[in-house]
Amino acid sequence: MRGAFKTLLYLAAAAALAYPLTPFRDVYVLHVLVLIMVYMVLAMGLNILPGFCGLLDLGFVGFYGIGAYTAGLLTIHYNMSFWLIVPLAAVNGAFFGVMLGVPTLRLVGDYFAIVTFGFSELVVLFLTNEIWLTRGPLGVPGIAPVSIDATWLATLLGVDSRWRYAFRGEVPYFYLGLLMVILVYCGMRRLEDSRLGRAWLAIREDPMAAASCGVDLLAYKVIAFAVSAGIGAMAGAFFARWTLFISPDMFKFWESFLVLCMVVLGGLGNINGALVGAVILIALGELLRVALPRLGLPTETRFLAYGLIMVLIMRFRPGGIFTQVAETTMQSGLIKELRARLAARRTA
Amino acid sequence: MFEQQLVNGFTLGLIYALIAVGYTMVYGVIELINFAHGEIYMLGAFLTLSCISMGLPLPLAVLLAMLATAAIGVLLDVVAYRPLREAPRLAALITAIGMSIFLQNLAMIIWGSRPLPFPRQALPAFFAEPALRFSEVTVTWMQIVIYVTALALMVGLNLVITKTRTGTAMRALAQNRTAAALMGINVNRVISFTFALGSGMGAVAGVMVSMYYNTMYPTMGYLAGVKAFAAAVLGGIGSVPGAMLGGVALGIAETLGAGYISSPYRDGVAYAVMILVIIFRPSGFLGRSMVEKA
Repeated sequence: MRGAFKTLLYLAAAAALAYPLTPFRDVYVLHVLVLIMVYMVLAMGLNILPGFCGLLDLGFVGFYGIGAYTAGLLTIHYNMSFWLIVPLAAVNGAFFGVMLGVPTLRLVGDYFAIVTFGFSELVVLFLTNEIWLTRGPLGVPGIAPVSIDATWLATLLGVDSRWRYAFRGEVPYFYLGLLMVILVYCGMRRLEDSRLGRAWLAIREDPMAAASCGVDLLAYKVIAFAVSAGIGAMAGAFFARWTLFISPDMFKFWESFLVLCMVVLGGLGNINGALVGAVILIALGELLRVALPRLGLPTETRFLAYGLIMVLIMRFRPGGIFTQVAETTMQSGLIKELRARLAARRTA
Repeated sequence: MFEQQLVNGFTLGLIYALIAVGYTMVYGVIELINFAHGEIYMLGAFLTLSCISMGLPLPLAVLLAMLATAAIGVLLDVVAYRPLREAPRLAALITAIGMSIFLQNLAMIIWGSRPLPFPRQALPAFFAEPALRFSEVTVTWMQIVIYVTALALMVGLNLVITKTRTGTAMRALAQNRTAAALMGINVNRVISFTFALGSGMGAVAGVMVSMYYNTMYPTMGYLAGVKAFAAAVLGGIGSVPGAMLGGVALGIAETLGAGYISSPYRDGVAYAVMILVIIFRPSGFLGRSMVEKA
């Protein structure tokens, strides 16, 4: 049964992979799929804070915005390559993460949440009002799409031609997004079972016990914040070079809420859950976008459903809808053994 | 000019203070940032509008809206927060955000997403006229009404908290819930009372803002809620007089900031105040420090 399920899963993955190359492909569907991938990366990035460290971050979209604007502005002013911009945007996001994190990560609980919220609102205000830099509410249009320039390779090989491929349409972005999701996913899986990840989980379970075991709380939290911010900024850079237009109102609080909702839906601290949460909520959003006007309601009211989902999940399934999946995510033998011993002692 | 800014800031500040007491009281008794409080304030404005359009006079409409929002506040607690009382704090906080968004969108479905004007015909004609005029400063009758109502409500609230049995129970709960329960206090009833009281205050603030700016819209609770929360933090979260002081201080700071520093960053004043206070003086003006530090 499990084997058959796995085979089915692989088949589905293969079908999804091949879909953009088949003649049945549809631009709209592809667009939604790429959007899902952006949110998958965001959800995995956010998951580090409330999921691994137990810190509620309400300002995640601030880093997403910083990444997107870093990418957008570097592209239109310096025409920099996407492959250079992504690390730069991630570093810039992480830099702001550290700047915000060092003074505020001493706070816990609600206060930390509020400070991050204030930060993301300040980011939006800055993007709206510093017109000299960001063009303000008009946004930044005309960002060049991603391109791969291999002319240097051609000259190296002595071929006299321009090997340059500019991304057009959704298909190349589909694969680029997939690459990004896979990279972040693998990184997260490795992080979760690393020394760093164990320290984070220890902080989440019991900060005092963690500190007495030699975990430097502030340092590990700042690292978590920086990594999370860097991933958010990376997703922002991709987003900017994909939609080719960014404006401040794309980075409002609701986006933070939406990403948080995905993480909560999938189960806090559950990487697979974050992916599933992104798929469900973006798909739901698209469905409601079609369904709501038919009922004579504005499309913004789809947030009604999101709010309700959040409340119901917290009430009835606080571990997310996939608690079983959450338990199988952990691969570290050490932690599994410790958990088993703890469970045995509890029942005894 | 400066004096006029001061007058306008004071008006705004009193309104923030009325919302802030709701945050601070709820935080005092259950240590939860009730994110949905901003939506209660918005509902106060819209429910008043609905009552007026049914032909009720303004004072009656406001009173009914207060009662209705008090009921909504209690319902919010019973349905959403009470089941999570023993759950991790994160769960309750996420629920609060969820409820906030739910209520906001519900209002959008009921009243539409476009801003509505406050029904002028329900206001007495003299409201817009200046009541006091010193050389360059004018205070309108509407501002006077706002001052009187807000101050009366706050004095009344303070009396309720300090003089009545339920108020004493509230303060006992804020100090130690278990001990309060052991003394025979019906904890859930007192919490419901706190929600009702805070929501009623918030509703009045909503009416006054929509009257003052002559507009109301379903998302109005968001920004006002954040600012009032900043005011509560500034005054010291958990302290009712602190929330009043914090509200007035924030209102004046915001108006002066907009007038003399930079008007596009008007809303930034509240965020900056909030962040700085939380980092450097988490106990605010009058509160005891509730910020746990790791």
